[in-house]
This record gives sequence, structure tokens and C-alpha cells, in this order.
Amino acid sequence: MSKGKLYLLLGALVALAYPFTPLASDYVLHVAVLVMIYMVLAMGLNIVPGFCGLLDLGFVGFYGIGAYTAGLLTVHYGLSFWAIVPLAALNGALWGVLLGAPTLRLTGDYFAIVTFGFSELVVLFLTNEIWLTRGPLGLPGIDPISIDLSWLSSLLNPAWDWYYEFDGETPYYLLAIVLVLGVYWMMGRLEDSRLGRAWFALREDPLAAASCGVNILLYKVIAFGISAAIGATAGSFFARWTLFLSPDMFKFWESFLVLCMVVLGGLANIQGALVGAIILVALGEVLRTVLPALGLPAETRFLAYGLIMILIMRFKPKGFFPAIATSGLSNPVIVRLRKRLAEQYGAKG
Amino acid sequence: MEAATQAAMQAALDPTTNAGAAPAPNKAPGAAAAESAGEPILEVRGVSKRFGGLLALGDVDYTVPRGRIMGLIGPNGAGKTTMFNCITGVYKPSVGDILFRRAPGAAPVRTNGFKPEKMTALGIARTFQNIRLFSDLTVLDNVRIGRHARTRQIFLGAVLRTRGQKREEERIVEDSMRWLDFVGLGKHALAPASGLAYGHQRRLEIARALATEPGLLLLDEPAAGMNPQETQMLDELIHRILDQGITVVLIEHDMKLVMHICDKLVVLDHGIKIADGTPEEIRRDPRVVEAYLGRGAADA
Amino acid sequence: MLEQQLVNGLTLGVIYALIAVGYTMVYGVIELINFAHGEIYMFGAFFCTTFIGAMGVPFYLAIILAMAAASLMGVLIEYVAYKPLRSSHRLAVLITAIGMSIFLQNLAMIIWGSRPRPFIQEAVPAYLSETAVRLGDVTLTWLHVFIFAVTFSMMIGLNLIINRTKIGTAMRALAQNRTAAQLMGINVNAVISFTFALGSSLGAMAGILVAVYYNSMYPTMGYVAGVKAFAAAVLGGIGSVPGAMLGGIVLGVAEALGAGYVSSLYRDGVAYAVMIAVIIFRPSGILGKAVVDKA
Repeated sequence: MSKGKLYLLLGALVALAYPFTPLASDYVLHVAVLVMIYMVLAMGLNIVPGFCGLLDLGFVGFYGIGAYTAGLLTVHYGLSFWAIVPLAALNGALWGVLLGAPTLRLTGDYFAIVTFGFSELVVLFLTNEIWLTRGPLGLPGIDPISIDLSWLSSLLNPAWDWYYEFDGETPYYLLAIVLVLGVYWMMGRLEDSRLGRAWFALREDPLAAASCGVNILLYKVIAFGISAAIGATAGSFFARWTLFLSPDMFKFWESFLVLCMVVLGGLANIQGALVGAIILVALGEVLRTVLPALGLPAETRFLAYGLIMILIMRFKPKGFFPAIATSGLSNPVIVRLRKRLAEQYGAKG
Repeated sequence: MEAATQAAMQAALDPTTNAGAAPAPNKAPGAAAAESAGEPILEVRGVSKRFGGLLALGDVDYTVPRGRIMGLIGPNGAGKTTMFNCITGVYKPSVGDILFRRAPGAAPVRTNGFKPEKMTALGIARTFQNIRLFSDLTVLDNVRIGRHARTRQIFLGAVLRTRGQKREEERIVEDSMRWLDFVGLGKHALAPASGLAYGHQRRLEIARALATEPGLLLLDEPAAGMNPQETQMLDELIHRILDQGITVVLIEHDMKLVMHICDKLVVLDHGIKIADGTPEEIRRDPRVVEAYLGRGAADA
Repeated sequence: MLEQQLVNGLTLGVIYALIAVGYTMVYGVIELINFAHGEIYMFGAFFCTTFIGAMGVPFYLAIILAMAAASLMGVLIEYVAYKPLRSSHRLAVLITAIGMSIFLQNLAMIIWGSRPRPFIQEAVPAYLSETAVRLGDVTLTWLHVFIFAVTFSMMIGLNLIINRTKIGTAMRALAQNRTAAQLMGINVNAVISFTFALGSSLGAMAGILVAVYYNSMYPTMGYVAGVKAFAAAVLGGIGSVPGAMLGGIVLGVAEALGAGYVSSLYRDGVAYAVMIAVIIFRPSGILGKAVVDKA
């Protein structure tokens, strides 16, 4: 096991144990869940600007689609969270593909503005289609997540009732850890695969990538679809956590914030996206209390986010931990190759 | 026309004036007869390419004999790279057909309108005049991406790391290393591509193209910027590529290399084919001399 | 009502057009969507009221000073943020541009507060709100006349600059081929700065006109207006100055009619929908050239 994986595992164990220690507080758990939702969002967005080099300004649109898909399916049909997640993810992917297929053949600038327009349209739709979403009034009454195994327990012993409804922050916190780890694990595998390499290739040089047989448009659409599905998954979790949705939650600012996390962590850097989410949510919490004390509106914290993006692009465009040539270095195939090269040439590759 | 320039050009067109030039030991016997012997791997039929009002290629016809080295030469702006772009699907010819026959005896495929990735899948690979590597990636990853057209795993395999996916990844590394060793870059496999010396970057680009398993390899000015020693190594590398059963077409300005290495030459000037034939024939062709030296030179 | 809607749409449309030419000119010379352009428009309005309110500058002079200040700001933005990234991946510049836009928006919020504020009415010449023409049910105030006169004369002036002057020729040369333009001895940096200055001054003018027309301005006003103007630029064909003018007018009218006859709730949606549709079905716009990736 590599050092990085070991640290990650240790970190995950500590994180899992935290709610059961005396240090646990609802505020910290709440912020931690928020951080983890942003981690998932940042990892999902990272695929498009990080792996493929395309600016996506409308990521929050898919987050919103996922959240409202989950919210509406819960409110109207009482569907279980576990059934909703795949449905929300599919719905997100569907819209990603529908939007991406016709627009991803254009240059990156156009794509950026189309994604922006799309997410604004999503907000307008959520605001104005009151019959469906209740519009600005918001969508209340979403049930919390529950684990219903009563069908199983009734088969085993009618006296048991295996039904658990999430209550308080702790179960959400634990589930969020599972979600983050799952997405993190998936991203690592995607990055170190034929698919990930195709993305990097089309980011570095589309013509050369096509000459290697990469169908540029197809692979961009796949990227956009996966990214949208991850955004929608985060949205479905968010809906069943806050239990109330309103169109305001899915405005452009959210897209910008997530993009800033990705940029801060270093484009294409999966761990970086995690770090970026922690730093910016923490910074946001601090500024939210500091700014009003200075007599400034809390929204002005975005000044700092904007500045961060400008400065990083200017001075650290590859982030603080450039991920050059690190993809898949721990893959056993590469480890074996490194050993062989070292034996053959006596130097480390 | 200044006499000195003329002399220099003629010297360039005639490698025998250069003392010590090897008499092309590897050249396939009877190269001139090759065309009639088997079906050509590529046929270019009446291809024209227009950009707005500009005629970049005008009604160009030629065939590429299988298993040989063909040179595409001509002054700057003659349309050589445009020709490559038409063959590889970057441009669609405005008029005319390009027919590709991957295996001997196979039915020819009319490739008009195919996208570059389709051409790669069919078996045509290329390098670029100004090297286009994936410079932020490792040397190995560059070649691994070259294996894209011959491998299949996309999403599920990657996420679930199925046995098939793992086996494919292992094969990709093996094959990639084989090509890296083939061009002599195996040692640098895990180094970033941007860190390679210039000559090595050219070789890496060739390895990446070879990794797509082409039947036809197009090299766009492979010797540009190389010193004589590197050019000599390139000469040797191209012959080894030929030994793999791969047909090679190259655009090149190094006349010494071209005359020495090619079995057949096609000469373009202002988008028009002005000559084709063996290096011997081309050297004597007055139209070629004129194209290179300007009007009047041929009569001199 | 149709006629009044048309007038409103046209008025908005010419203002969009003023902003849109800024996008299109910058795109023409450096192939960048300058997301911060919407903020220049907003700053124009705030500069103008600041000159009037804090320094007592008369209305027309304040407009000119605000345009000059916005030009300076545009040039500065390019110099500080975009120029150092000219050889970077396009993504880096785009991210910088969006970062700059958000930064400026919040800067304005810190300086002037986030709430909408009225334009200083006392400073606006009184005759502007008087009726100039009445045609049936349609009323045109002198402000309408002023807006049309200003925008049309600016458009004509801009066309003259682009087509008849040396610097205009240089701009067009740069749009065609930067390397070649450089080889021909064109001072690329100067031309880019000039383009930003020109586009920013027109954007600022648009901001002032809107602030006076609606008697309202706020730090986030550039956000929606910017996107709509960009949609106008796309509709007309990005890189094409006449296209941007045409696109602005078409979009303004479409929006007013859409709001009047389809649903006012989706008023802003019209611009986004038009933009996405144009980008998907006719990316070159009405008068532009193709933008499909070369690979």
C-alpha cells in the first residue's frame, strides 16, 4: 500500500470515529457534511476542466437537476433514497449528454457560455414551473434518508423491525464519507485508464489525440455525462439532507465556488479538489461571520474567490501540487515496469 | 538565378555529388517495378482541396506502392502537408477520391469524409511537422494513447477493474514498451515527454504513431532540425519500420535523405503534381529543377 | 401595445448592441470571451454617478469621464490579468476572465453596497423625460431619442474607426492572423490595448444609458446584461461588429416580444435559449465565420 493510500485510510478512520467522540458537535458535523458534498461536486466538475480542459460554468445545473429529481420523487412518490440516487444520476447524465453532444464540438469558449446559459435556464425553470416545483416558495417536506429492511426482518422474525430513519447529522456524515470515498476511488480508477488517458490526450492536443484514434467528441460527451451524473448524485444526497429545496440554491455562484475549489486544488488533481473544498468551505464560514462584522454584505466573500482564481492562473496554473506524470504511478503494472527499467538501466525511470 | 544558388540546389538534388554517400543498401530491389507488381496501398485520384478562393491542391493523382518508402517533396507551400491532412481525414478533399487498401488483395476503402480517428482505425498513422506530443504526460502515456484505436475498455471496465480491463491495461503497457524500445526510448518510459531532447521527441512521436498499428505511416518532415548523426539514425529507423511491413510516406526537405531513402518520389508545386518516379528520374526531370530553382533555370 | 413593446425592445436592443461590440471586438483580436466586460458596463454607470455625486461634474461631461475611466479599467484588466497568459492554455485565460468578472462585481459591492440605487435624477437634464414624439399609442421621450442618437452615432463612429483608420486596419489584421500581423510590424500589444479601451468605453456608455433609462443600478447588473450582450454577439456572429449590432437589436426585440406575448417569467430565458440554439444550430451566427474546433 502506498503512503498516500495509507494516509487516506487513516484519515477516513479518524473521520468515521469522530462523531462518536466527546468532541463531536452538530455544527462541525453539519459543516463537514457540507464540505463533503462540495468534495463530491469538485471531483465531479474536475473531469471537465481538469481532465478535458473545458470550462464548465453550469455545473450547478446538474446538481440542481439531481436535487429536484430526488426531492420530487420523494415528495410525490415516496421513493427510497437508494432507488433515487441512480435515477438522479441517470437524469443528470441524460441532460449532460443532451447538452454536450451538440455543443462540445465547438471551441471551449462557446462551450463555457452554453453551460452557463443552461444552468441559468435550469434555475428559471425551477423558479417558474410552480405546478411542478412550487417555484420560489421552495419544495419542503422531503423525507430524510431511511434504510428499510423490514421486508427482510419480517421474513426472519416478525418481532424485528429493521427500519432506520436518518436522524441528526451523524448518519448523514457517515454516509457522506462513504460517498466521498466512493467517488474518490472511482475518479482514481478513471484517471488511470484508457478513458482517462483519452481525456488527457484531447486536453493536451485534440488533433494529435484524434490521430491516435480518440473520437474527440464522443470522449468529451462521456466526460460531460459522467461529470453531470456525479453532480446530480451530490444533488440527490443534498435534497435528502437539507429536506428543503429552493431554486436560489442552484444559482451561478455555486458553479463558481466549485470551479474555484477545483482551480485552487490544481486542475486535474483529484486530491487537490478535496483540499480545495475544505479550504473554501472553511474560508466561506469564516468570511460569513467576519464580513458582516466589517459592515460588508456576506456575498462579498466571492471577491476572495475571484481573486484566488486570478492569482492561481497567473502564478500556479497547475496548482500547488502539479500532477504531472503521477497518474497511475501506483498501478501494479507501472510499479513492475519501474522495477524492470531500474534493473535494465540502473537508474530510476 | 545566381549560379552559386543553382549549384547548391543541384548538389542538394544529387546526392552522388556528396562524397561518401552510401548506395542505399537497404533499398528494395526493383523499386521502380514495384508499382506494377502489387496493388498500391494508397491511391490518390484527382484530389483537389480548396480553401475559399485558394487552390491548395489541384487534381493530384498518384499511388503509394505497398512496402516501400515514398517521398512527397516540393518547395514550401506546395501543398504537401495539406495532402497529408487530406489522407488522414483532417481535411476532406473538395474533389477526388482517396482509396486505401490495408491488406494486399483487400477491397479498397474510399476514405473521403472519414474523421481522423477513423483513418487511424483503418490503419493510417502520422506524425506532425511541428511535433505534437502530449507534453504534460509521460513518455509511456504518449505511446499508451497511441494504443487507443486498438483497445476497447471505456467506463465500466475502468471503474470495476474487471479482469478483461486489467489484462488489456497490461497488454497496452507491453505493446507500448515494445514500440518505445523499438525507437530506443524504453529507458525514458516514465519521464515526462516534455523533458525529452528534440531528437527523442521526434522518435517518441513516431513510436506513438507506430503504436496505432498502421499499415501506412506518414512522416511530416521527420528530419527537420536534426543533426547529421540523428538523421543517420532516422534513416536506419525508417528502414526498420519498413521491415515491420509498414509502408512509409515522408515529406522531407533534406534532399540527401530523400534521394537516398525513397523508392518513389512525388513532386508537388503550388498544389499541382509536377512529377513522380524514382529518385533517378526525378533528379533529371526539368520541371522539378524549375520548380526548385525558378523559371529559366531548367533551360540554363 | 405591440408598438410600445417594439420600442422598448429596440431601445434595449441598441444598448445590448453597444455591449455586444465590446465582446466581439475582444474576441476578434485575442479569441477570448471577456467575461469581465459586463462588469465594465456596470462600473461605467457607477463611475458616472460618482463623478456627478461626489465631484459635481455636469451630466454630459460625467458620461465622457466615465467612459474614459472605464477604458482605462479595461486596458488595465487586460494588462494585469490576460496579457501574462497569452501563451497559456486557453482554459487558464477563460478562468481568469470569469474570476475577474466575479472579483469586480464584488469590488463594486464593497465600494457602493449591494442594494440597487437610483441614478442621480437631479443631474439628468429635465427635457430627457419629456415626450418627444407621439405616434398613436406609442410615446417616445427625448431619452429614447438620446439613446438611439448616441448608439447609432457610436456605431457609425466605430465602423469608421475599424474600416477607415490605421489602427482599425491593424485590428482587423490581428483578427485574421496574429503572427502575420506581428511580422508586418503591427504593435500587437498596442492594438489589443486599444481594442479593450474602445470596447470598454462603449460598454460604459451602455451602462450609463441603462442606469438612466431604468433609473436604477446595482453591482450585479453586469451579470445578466453581459450574458445577454454576449448572446447578441453570438447571434450576430462572434468577431463581426455589424453582426453584434444586428444581434443586439434582434435579441432586444425578441425579448420584449417574448416577454409580452409568451411569458414574462422567462424574459431572461429568451436570451439564453436564443444563444444556445444559435450556438447549436448555427455557431457562425448571422454574419460570422465558423468556430468549430479545428481538430
